[in-house]
Amino acid sequence: MTERTPPSDAVVRALQDLDIPEARAVELAAEVERLNGTVRAEARSLTFGDEPAAHAAVLERGAS
Amino acid sequence: MTPRLDDLPLLDLSEVAAAIAEGRTTAVAATEACLARIEAWQPALNCFIAIDREGALAAAAARDAELARGYRRGPLHGVPLAHKDMFLRKGRVSTGGSLILRDAVAATTSTLMERLDGAGAVEVGRLNMSEFAAGPTGHNVHYGHCRNAFDRAHIAGGSSSGSGAAVAARLVYGALGSDTGASVRLPAAANGVVGLKPTYGRVTRHGAIARSWSLDHVGPIARTARDCALLLQVIAGPDPRDPTTSHRPVGDLLAPMEDTSLAGIRIGVPGDAIAGAIDPEVASALEASLRVLEKLGAGVRVVPLPDLTALFHVAETIIKCEAAAMHRPWLEARPQDYGKHVRLRIEAGFHIPATQYIDALRLRATMTERFLAETMAEVDLLHLPVLPIPVPTLEETDVDGAGGEAVVAVVGRITAFTRPFNLLGLPAVSVPCGFCRKGLPIAYQLVGRPFAEALLLRVVNAYQQATDHHRKVPVL
Repeated sequence: MTERTPPSDAVVRALQDLDIPEARAVELAAEVERLNGTVRAEARSLTFGDEPAAHAAVLERGAS
Repeated sequence: MTPRLDDLPLLDLSEVAAAIAEGRTTAVAATEACLARIEAWQPALNCFIAIDREGALAAAAARDAELARGYRRGPLHGVPLAHKDMFLRKGRVSTGGSLILRDAVAATTSTLMERLDGAGAVEVGRLNMSEFAAGPTGHNVHYGHCRNAFDRAHIAGGSSSGSGAAVAARLVYGALGSDTGASVRLPAAANGVVGLKPTYGRVTRHGAIARSWSLDHVGPIARTARDCALLLQVIAGPDPRDPTTSHRPVGDLLAPMEDTSLAGIRIGVPGDAIAGAIDPEVASALEASLRVLEKLGAGVRVVPLPDLTALFHVAETIIKCEAAAMHRPWLEARPQDYGKHVRLRIEAGFHIPATQYIDALRLRATMTERFLAETMAEVDLLHLPVLPIPVPTLEETDVDGAGGEAVVAVVGRITAFTRPFNLLGLPAVSVPCGFCRKGLPIAYQLVGRPFAEALLLRVVNAYQQATDHHRKVPVL
């Protein structure tokens, strides 16, 4: 895994207009990278037509 | 037989409801008995954020007067209940366990409270919870930590901490909680009672203070499957005020319980796939519960499990993003009014790109479809732990205290087997199945196909008819 550098976090902080200490920003970067990494990996299985609202239909169809 | 006053709180919900309906006791007597027990236990457990003695007795007297006129509102007529402090009632404060909402008076009444009122329930107070339902342990820096009914040094489990502890200590006959990652199942498991997280859309979320709109599930906590069924029957079903509710009929949840044979029921287990993650004491109790289910006629077979960590992280992405969006105004204006760990839990949501959040939502459907097709293809239910370790102490899990990696590691394990099913939206129930050497409850979890609440409760009822773990009453 490549190490992330603070500038990208600084950009994100600027965009979100939140005051976060540098040390906490580094912690957050690691946490966000972990979550984003999982979602990105899993999202490779998604197709163009997959949309959020499909979940309710899956539950209805999947009822025994 | 007329129940003695001292014994009243020890009855199950369905028993006290029948005793009131048949005139063997009154709503006032049941309420007074609960209030007396609450007075004795509250200093030890801190289950309640607020106790409404006058309101409860007035409501109970009104229910008795109605009954005297021959009018019974419904199956909960005169039954004392209390709920996690997050279900709005017009003109009343619901704190959500937070300082932010300490004085927030609701402008409307939640559908859930309306349905319980309509069924005749008496509300005796508002129950403690983790701040904004964020946290699986029951720690609360604003209202004091709620404690385990069986051992005050241990966690009650969160976030519906008061609901689990109060029902276990026989302070009320049942309670509602909400579950975004474990919050009904975990406090039920930690306190030796039954907690049901229904299918997403089975129960309205209208007027419930949100943790994550997409993953919040409101569900009942009670001593028995039958009592959970009674509560669920009242609160389930479509609600025009919550467009995410399903229009699928709820059906009769109680009638199937007459059948206590589990012949033909197929239960999946993960085999060795999760063995390394389970404490030996917990594993032993889980194994024993399977033997009981088999003896009742169920077939048990090993099924493939998906990567639960991936499901966990996708769920976490959704929770953090939605929480960040809803808390942003307060986090900007009043950050000091949040508990440290709650603020920290939310913060990451500000930094997750919208595309990642949307992909996480898109993944719900595909991951659920895959889970049903692969893990549940040849079984009706999946058997898993709730809490894979013995119930930890408050100190071992105090993330606002000394903290450290050991604390983070313990807390991280707590919801490993529960949160995935919030992402998938599948129904899941926590069932007491024994006690560890220290005397704390152990529970197993059954996960069903969508809208299989009746089957889940039928199986748990059969299990409870054959066991007595849920009959152990904590002592003060």
